[in-house]
Amino acid sequence: MPERVDRDGTPAYRVLGVEVTRREAAFLVLGVVFLFVIPDIASLSDSLQLSVIHQGLLFGFAAVGLNLLLRHTKLTSFGHAAFFGTGAYATAVLARYAGVQSVGLLLLGAIAAATVMAAIIGVLSLRHTGLYFALLTLAFGQLLYAIALGQSALGGSDGLPVRPGPANQPLLFGTAFSPDVYQILTYYLTVVVILIGLFVMYRITQSPFRNALDAIGQERTRARFIGLPVRRYVWAAFVISGIYGGVAGGLYAVVRQYVRPEGTLFFLRSGDILFMAILGGFRTLVGPLIGGVVLVFLQDVGQDVTQYYEFLTGVVLLILVYGFPRGIVGSLRSGGIVNTRLSELRREPSVLSAWGRSAAQSIERKVTEALTSLRIILFGVD
Amino acid sequence: MAVTPTAALVQTLNGIQFGFILFMIASGLTVILGILDVLNLAHGELFSLGAYTAIGVFGFIIGVIGPPGGGVVGTAVFILAVLAAVLVTAAILLPVGTLFEAVFLRQIYDRDQVYQLVLTFALLLILLDVKKLIWGDSSIRTDAVYSAINAIPTSELVGLNYPTYNVFVILVGSAVVAGLFWFFERTKTGRIIRATAIDREMATAIGVSTDRVFTLVFALGAFLAGFAGAMAVPPTSATLEMGTNPLVLSFVVIVIGGLGSLRGAFVGALLVGVIRSWMITLYPPGEIAAPFAIMALILLVKPEGLFGTWGETA
Amino acid sequence: MQQTTTDHDTGGIGRRQLLSAVGGSAVAAALAGCSTLLSDGETADQGEQSGGEISDEPIQAGLLTFTRGAPGVLGIQAQRGAELAVQRINDAGGIGGQREIELDVVNEGSNPLDSYNQFIEEGKEVTFGPISSGTHSQIAPEVEKNGIINVSTDGTVTTLYEETVPDPTYSFRFQNYDIMEVVTMAREAVERIGADNISTVAGVNPGYSFGEDEMRVFTQAIQRLTDAEIVYEGFPELGASDMANHITSINNEEPDVTFSSLWGGDVTTFVRQANANNMFENTTVFGTTLYSAAGDVPGDALAGTDIYSGSRNYYWGKPALGNWQPGRELFDAATQQEGVTVPTAHYMSGYGAVTAWATAVEKAIDLLGTYPTQEQIAQVLEGHGFFTPAGYHNIAEDHQGASNSFAGQMVYDDDLGAARLEDVNTYAATETAPPPGVTGSDWLDSWSA
Repeated sequence: MPERVDRDGTPAYRVLGVEVTRREAAFLVLGVVFLFVIPDIASLSDSLQLSVIHQGLLFGFAAVGLNLLLRHTKLTSFGHAAFFGTGAYATAVLARYAGVQSVGLLLLGAIAAATVMAAIIGVLSLRHTGLYFALLTLAFGQLLYAIALGQSALGGSDGLPVRPGPANQPLLFGTAFSPDVYQILTYYLTVVVILIGLFVMYRITQSPFRNALDAIGQERTRARFIGLPVRRYVWAAFVISGIYGGVAGGLYAVVRQYVRPEGTLFFLRSGDILFMAILGGFRTLVGPLIGGVVLVFLQDVGQDVTQYYEFLTGVVLLILVYGFPRGIVGSLRSGGIVNTRLSELRREPSVLSAWGRSAAQSIERKVTEALTSLRIILFGVD
Repeated sequence: MAVTPTAALVQTLNGIQFGFILFMIASGLTVILGILDVLNLAHGELFSLGAYTAIGVFGFIIGVIGPPGGGVVGTAVFILAVLAAVLVTAAILLPVGTLFEAVFLRQIYDRDQVYQLVLTFALLLILLDVKKLIWGDSSIRTDAVYSAINAIPTSELVGLNYPTYNVFVILVGSAVVAGLFWFFERTKTGRIIRATAIDREMATAIGVSTDRVFTLVFALGAFLAGFAGAMAVPPTSATLEMGTNPLVLSFVVIVIGGLGSLRGAFVGALLVGVIRSWMITLYPPGEIAAPFAIMALILLVKPEGLFGTWGETA
Repeated sequence: MQQTTTDHDTGGIGRRQLLSAVGGSAVAAALAGCSTLLSDGETADQGEQSGGEISDEPIQAGLLTFTRGAPGVLGIQAQRGAELAVQRINDAGGIGGQREIELDVVNEGSNPLDSYNQFIEEGKEVTFGPISSGTHSQIAPEVEKNGIINVSTDGTVTTLYEETVPDPTYSFRFQNYDIMEVVTMAREAVERIGADNISTVAGVNPGYSFGEDEMRVFTQAIQRLTDAEIVYEGFPELGASDMANHITSINNEEPDVTFSSLWGGDVTTFVRQANANNMFENTTVFGTTLYSAAGDVPGDALAGTDIYSGSRNYYWGKPALGNWQPGRELFDAATQQEGVTVPTAHYMSGYGAVTAWATAVEKAIDLLGTYPTQEQIAQVLEGHGFFTPAGYHNIAEDHQGASNSFAGQMVYDDDLGAARLEDVNTYAATETAPPPGVTGSDWLDSWSA
């Protein structure tokens, strides 16, 4: 079945439309196997918890959706939690008020709700770019947060449980499993959903639609002049990104069996999702997913290690901005900064001291500049 | 539930007082956005830092001068001491702002906008734990200032039951507003800053060091945020999360007013303050919903806000 | 066994008699606060305990409470109470004379569900807490699912065992729950002001399930006792910094009674700002948990106020410290702990939750001769009676603790450096709790007088 293809001289294979070199295929297979094996690894180690990784994957999946907008159309959404939260709350509402017990139906409800929400918000946000777009999405996200917080039918600040039916638990394939088994089965479900989602996203990135989005991202007016239906395409991208968010939210509700406004709709959650995309590498496909797991893991492990875990996360983000702007996945790729630096190091080990010196020098320079500016501010301009 | 005219007035005053504090925070945010083109996510934390620092400074200064003595002179001395404490607190924020801009922010001006958001967010997180490190986990308060100033009769003289401290905030806030407008319209530095916002290249051409302007603006923003924190803390307490809500509301304010517009920030802040105040009384879910609904509306209908951006109407 | 205390000190009671009076175990004696009556520093006779079927592995226990911020004012009380109880247990030799307790205290904060799940994953044998009713509603179903006993310190929402988890097996609640303290304050209002003088009522309650629950119950109760009309309901969020709007509305309405279930740091915010707005000229405040901020509210804020507060099932000043030795010892021990100016009812929430569980386990060990399973402990806990320095408590068959409740006028005491309650009334559980099998709402509806 794999069809041999030649990509710039290196042999590659094509399966189901996915084109990978041998090396990439190896990584891919390893990645998938690793994902499936995580529950077993987690049961062995104390610090590695399945629920934490699971949450990271879910937020990361939402970030993958966000990345469609960020990477191609260059739109920074600061309200992606709106879709995550819509999916989560739709699930909760269906479970509580409509008595829907099946996990499959609950997820379908989440997808439907998120699609509608993304369609509406998308239509309204189409015209804007840049900062205005970010602020508008923020406003919508907070509006939804306010609604969830204010309506007692939605549980108010305490939120809603997702415990439908006599089993007090959603049913997978019509069966109520024991809590431990439920956690593992829903994890596998998440993995399957993620793999499908990544595959779909990959196909999108290989399609002309992606090129159109790139063109729109670079120069909207020009894109319109060459005949691209800018509004419709941006809207479509918006809705697709919203669906990813909604699916992630629905799964989140099904797994945790509880939804609250702060964890699902608050703008800091939107910020988290955005930063996960950047942390993982927003110029890559898989980056946001990795970013999600890493950020959640960081915060969780950080909490056990020190009470100053926010500081830790902040420092990691600083390192990201200054040292590894391509994010984790972006930097690890060939051509990324990790590889270039490593190869430099391999060639000439003494380069390390040179780096150290230049880093120290630049810090010193900055601080002196800052102090000079401060002196001038306080004591007058020269 | 009928609302008497007195109660209506007091609720509005509550909103106005909140609005002034919000203005002080939002003004820094909008100026930084207008000049540096940076949305400073850490701005709420600068406010919070001001509140925490203020408690220490209040404690020190009041410890030095003792409780307010009787009579007009004693009261006047006390009020001056409080103002001095607020100014000192805000001044402490100056080096913080300078440091942030010169060391951290400057590197990334020419980079993708997303990185600024990540950077200022990282600074937010770092400040959170710096506060935790210095002042610990529990909330802290300063008791002396609020009760002492409330003991001074002001609104009681006109038969109104309104805490003097709130009157104090409105008066001081008005002075700050006037001062800021005066600074940007009448002083050389202020006009240089505006020039840099309107046309950065032209400003460089006439010899303005944009680097220094940027640092100055950010430091000014931090100063204002710290000032607001010091003014806001006496009736309540300083908590680690106190920066989040003002930050988000500031977004609303600067959108309503116009990104970069000082006048807009003032109008926007008072509007948000009063609306919020009325919502709490009449329709509690509206407290959060209304500001963001207005924000969305403005962005959809008139994205440049009520007063446009800096260049046009300052 | 040589008695080193005189007959006068122990009232002529020997050690053996004392032990049987408190249920047979040294741990129970220590928790009841009778440790000094036991001996001068003698620890429990480990040999008296049954068999070597009990391991000496320490018991891992988890406590979920607020350790920081405005809620921390109350949450830390529960923490210290629990810690004192654990310390007394360990000093008495541990559970069954063998097993010491290791208490892991975690902030309830923003992700309580995750923290609770982590307790379970870490293999805790028992969990205590939480404080917040919202959290309790979230974790109670999980408690039942996990089959690990949780004795809550608070989380007192009325609907917990009526709707959320109607037939609990592993979930228990020590502290008097919402309806009990609300009815206490409704009765207090009538007693202090007179039913004829209460025609308008306002409420300022925290904006989440607990506050809404308490306001709902108070409305029902006060309308059963008087012809009052509710003129204003405010629900500031937990930790709100500005309550001016609610205070202004109350000043506008001038209700005879203002009911509040604000707790922790919110009380301080409310009282300070209310005082600044001269609210107490216009209304009298009756609050269920205002005293939870006893060590936090400054004296000048309380000056000139008209506040009555409940103190759930424990007020340190009743019986008077001089008349009740266990109370005195608890007070002394508590005030030495960090963060405790005076022990409030929530101190007892923590202390009592641990005591309820520990004494039940001791009873089970006594019955079985081995360390009991979760189900066995649960069975013992139903209908379990035990002592704390606050007196005698009982965990009813419905898993809800019922004890006396206290209320009095809240004033500042300069010598104490904290608030105290004056003119304290005590209410029996029969006056404040519905009979078994009857929901709170139905019980209130059935009142005819």
